[in-house]
Amino acid sequence: MNTNYLLPNKYKSIGWILFTIGIISGLFSYFIPMEKEPIQTKVLSILNNFAAGPNEMEYFKIIEAGIGFELILLSIIIGGLIVGFTREKIEDEFTYKLRNDSLVWAIILNYLVLIVLVLFVHSFTFIYVMTLNILTPLIFFILRFNFIQLRHRSHEE
Amino acid sequence: MKNNIKVQRAIHDMTQADLAEKIGVSRQTINAIEKNKYVPSTVLSLKIARLFSKPLEELFFLDETD
Repeated sequence: MNTNYLLPNKYKSIGWILFTIGIISGLFSYFIPMEKEPIQTKVLSILNNFAAGPNEMEYFKIIEAGIGFELILLSIIIGGLIVGFTREKIEDEFTYKLRNDSLVWAIILNYLVLIVLVLFVHSFTFIYVMTLNILTPLIFFILRFNFIQLRHRSHEE
Repeated sequence: MKNNIKVQRAIHDMTQADLAEKIGVSRQTINAIEKNKYVPSTVLSLKIARLFSKPLEELFFLDETD
């Protein structure tokens, strides 16, 4: 099957490691909020100070910021992309279809969940929940793709 | 669409893994085809037909919903 946007299979384990580390540290930081940022450093910020109002916005400035959250997000997103978009050991037309179906399924499920959230979660809590919604399309996709593969693997006759 | 690949496999005394290897797909794919969960492409169907030396119509059948 011609799926040239996929990475070679050997990267899949790296993806799983990054993804797992990201998810675990993400869960930790959600449930056990840290007193202060573990890693402070100078970063380039292309948009800053939005909360102070449009006139106070700062553009392309070097600022001091904690990057713990950024590292967690990057590790989940990059790890997840690698897991989702590396070749399977045997990549064939069924895997291709399964991957596409899972992507469609994940997008639809994600927006159904979002509709429920828009209706029933309000004000600041909504923003809080939305930070999780950044990752759910990728997570739903990976879960479904792997679940269906496992199910077909377990039926030897 | 239905198929009798499972029967053909039995006649040729092949496991799902044997068939999968011979036509270059994964075992899950054969499993999904036999369970009518997946309709193989024309290319893959022709490969299966060639392997069993049968015309396509003797391996794959339309059903009422097609």
